[in-house]
Amino acid sequence: MMILRFLARRLALGLAVLWAAATLTFAMMNLTGGDTAVAILGGPDAMPTAEALAKVRAEYGLDQPLWRQYGDWLWRLVHGDLGQSYRLRIPVSTAIAEQIWPTVKLALLAGSLGVALAIAVALATANRKARWIAATASVVELVLISMPSFVLGIAFLLVFAFYWPVFPVADAPGLAGLALPVITLALPIAATLSQILRAELELVLEQPFILTARARGLSDAGVRLGHALRHTLSQLLTLSGLVFAALLGGAAVTESLFSRPGIGRLLIDATTATDVPVVVGVTIVTALAYVLSSLVVDLASALVDLRTASA
Amino acid sequence: MKARPGLCLAGSAFALLLAARLPGAPAAGDEKRPAAMSTAVHAFTYPHADYVETGRGRSGGTLHISVASDTGTLDLQTIAATNPKWLGRLLFDNLVYLDEHGAITPWIAERWDISADGLTYVFHLRDGVTFSDGTPLDAAAVKANLDRIVDPASHTAMTAAYIAPYARSRVVDRRTLEVTLSRPYSAFLNVLAQSWFGLVSPRSLAGPKAVLATRPVGSGPFIVASYRRQSGITFVRRPDYRWAPPYIGHAGPAYLDRIAVTFVPEALPRYVSLVSGQFDLTIDAPPQNAAAIRANPDLVLGNRINLGNPTRAITFNTTLPPFNELAVRQAFALAIDRAAITRANGFGEYRPTGAFLSAITPHAAPGIVAPGPDVAAANRLLDKAGWAARDADGVRRRGAQRLQATLVQVDAGTALSPIVVAIQADARKIGLRLDIRQVTAPQLTQIRARNAYQALGPGYWHTNTPDGLYIVYHGQNIANPRFTGQNTSRIADPQLDSLLNQARATRDPARQDRLYAAAQARLAVLVPAVPLFENHTLVAYHRHLRGMVYDTSHNMPFLTTAWLSEPRS
Repeated sequence: MMILRFLARRLALGLAVLWAAATLTFAMMNLTGGDTAVAILGGPDAMPTAEALAKVRAEYGLDQPLWRQYGDWLWRLVHGDLGQSYRLRIPVSTAIAEQIWPTVKLALLAGSLGVALAIAVALATANRKARWIAATASVVELVLISMPSFVLGIAFLLVFAFYWPVFPVADAPGLAGLALPVITLALPIAATLSQILRAELELVLEQPFILTARARGLSDAGVRLGHALRHTLSQLLTLSGLVFAALLGGAAVTESLFSRPGIGRLLIDATTATDVPVVVGVTIVTALAYVLSSLVVDLASALVDLRTASA
Repeated sequence: MKARPGLCLAGSAFALLLAARLPGAPAAGDEKRPAAMSTAVHAFTYPHADYVETGRGRSGGTLHISVASDTGTLDLQTIAATNPKWLGRLLFDNLVYLDEHGAITPWIAERWDISADGLTYVFHLRDGVTFSDGTPLDAAAVKANLDRIVDPASHTAMTAAYIAPYARSRVVDRRTLEVTLSRPYSAFLNVLAQSWFGLVSPRSLAGPKAVLATRPVGSGPFIVASYRRQSGITFVRRPDYRWAPPYIGHAGPAYLDRIAVTFVPEALPRYVSLVSGQFDLTIDAPPQNAAAIRANPDLVLGNRINLGNPTRAITFNTTLPPFNELAVRQAFALAIDRAAITRANGFGEYRPTGAFLSAITPHAAPGIVAPGPDVAAANRLLDKAGWAARDADGVRRRGAQRLQATLVQVDAGTALSPIVVAIQADARKIGLRLDIRQVTAPQLTQIRARNAYQALGPGYWHTNTPDGLYIVYHGQNIANPRFTGQNTSRIADPQLDSLLNQARATRDPARQDRLYAAAQARLAVLVPAVPLFENHTLVAYHRHLRGMVYDTSHNMPFLTTAWLSEPRS
């Protein structure tokens, strides 16, 4: 019962978040100026007649008052219809479906690699007697965090695709084409998570129960993996959830640099072209990713807490 | 759709690509020459062999192409951007084709008769042409395309504007179509040769929009096999194709089995992936890598000038202060250091020009140029016009007025913004303070419609006829509630308008030459905008790509004749 009530509340909250995100986006796209009908007919380079503009306004309901447009849009949304893309002339759901899988693939791989690297580095460097180990790791992490992703990406492109061509440059089938974008996205994530994780581990490793474990004759690796890591899991889960959600929103810069399709680029192109239905649609999908991942994280954390308590 | 002149365009705030093997750089010498009438039909030409097949190629293989941007839709009749010009040549055929000097040659229309009043065109169509869905390309199909383009419900804003004088068509018989115009329009056949006017199967036009946008059916040498948005397009050869434009000298199907296009938006990966051999050809070679491409023995750089209007450094709003004042416009033109800005932006590949038509456009008069550069003359001009006083910042004054203006440009993060920064510095040299305001494209459309700007940033207009002058500088094309025209300088000069009207009404080349020369001379005096450099297309490819010719309308690769000496799949 508890869990059902929890889920129901989270579901309601999630829907409210989706509605708010979509409504805000709808309002901003419609209020920030520009004539949507002109944008649909080609923007500043088009030469539409008043007649053609009127037809387009009627076709998309742009001749209706904004509250009416909003109502119609919400009604269709509730029925699962995201509308038609102005620019691509296909349903928004099709446009998103075409672009979501590359984004999901990239997000899962980059997120997993980032988290795995962070755990490995933090475990290996936390609380070492030789302080330079942690210090070096920290500096490298700081550099990776501060570096804009396109700089990192360009560096990888030049080194691994140009001077030493082991990977293809542009979107290529298979894992080879994914390697560079995944690493480019994963490194800053790994660096951020590893900083937090190391600090957390260092706290845990100072705890009395660790001393007890060591006294029982557990190896250093055993202590770190078996005891210390488990105590940082819930924080790690929360952060990983945020990371995945952010990645599912698309990584436009990385997608662009490595010529990959994806939600991020779809959003940018749609924004420039005032393709309101696509912008709103992508916003809803992104918000959904956040809602779902935070739900999963909360459920998983509850699980971890139970296990920690019983350990 | 009554009387809108139309034309093609070229994305105003776009990073230019192009490039051509222009002999050397900027003929700076030309720019100081006084305006003079030219009788030459062409100012600049490319070798004949660039436009026609010179030997048989070998069939087979896949051509891998990188290109900067996706078009979003393959329904090219609805597009107002220039980037898909070369794509249209893969999928579609047109009624007519140009020769390299801009004369009309047959394509799907074998021949045509034009009535003496210039209002009736009778097209006699080639027999046996079919769309890839089996529908015959006959008179009814051509009529369906033209009617669709001028239908205001079709989203075909640009193509409709180009053929605004089109009134109706009548199918005389299967192979004969009679087209009636509402007024004489000498550029009519030229624009029908443009890639945006590629003929689509009537069945495809009548089908679902999403299918038309994704897999349009044409009669061209290739067929869409798959279109993955933002990723790429794959085309396969149509084996029974045999109606390429006779002018290019190619009979039968294309040589390439397949063409795989990948969208590579960033310049550096586009260059790197070309060098690495991942791609055989890039349609958008980055100008900053042009020198390296030229130095690479495996690669060829194709740098071509586009027809139409060159890139403008600035377009003045001639209806609002301070640029409603001729002396201020002339002074600004004199202040702009064309050669220096061109060098900095074109990496030695762009050709500076002060002319109002590109050097390869028919009836371009290369000696007729906007004034400049001459900063001393600019300052004298402003002193004489009453702007002699200066305030503490060095900005000129006339009474209570300060000589300042704001330039509006789209913030597209493109290669054009360095131009604006450079002309801002040039303006300072003559005591004119120029502020820059970056806006989004939708905001710009609104600002233009409301006449709420003093000047606009760099832009160009590509079309395959000198009638581009009509689109950009004729009084009819000032944006009004009926029509969103492209005359953003809002110049409405009766003398200029009359010259351009007459040039539209006559098909006599000698007369057109005189009229267009006079129109260009008038523009050089009025300076509604300051031409800067030619609008270039830069392509680059590996030497194993052979036989490629350039499209006479767009100076982009025409791949029906292209073949691979080392085919791969």
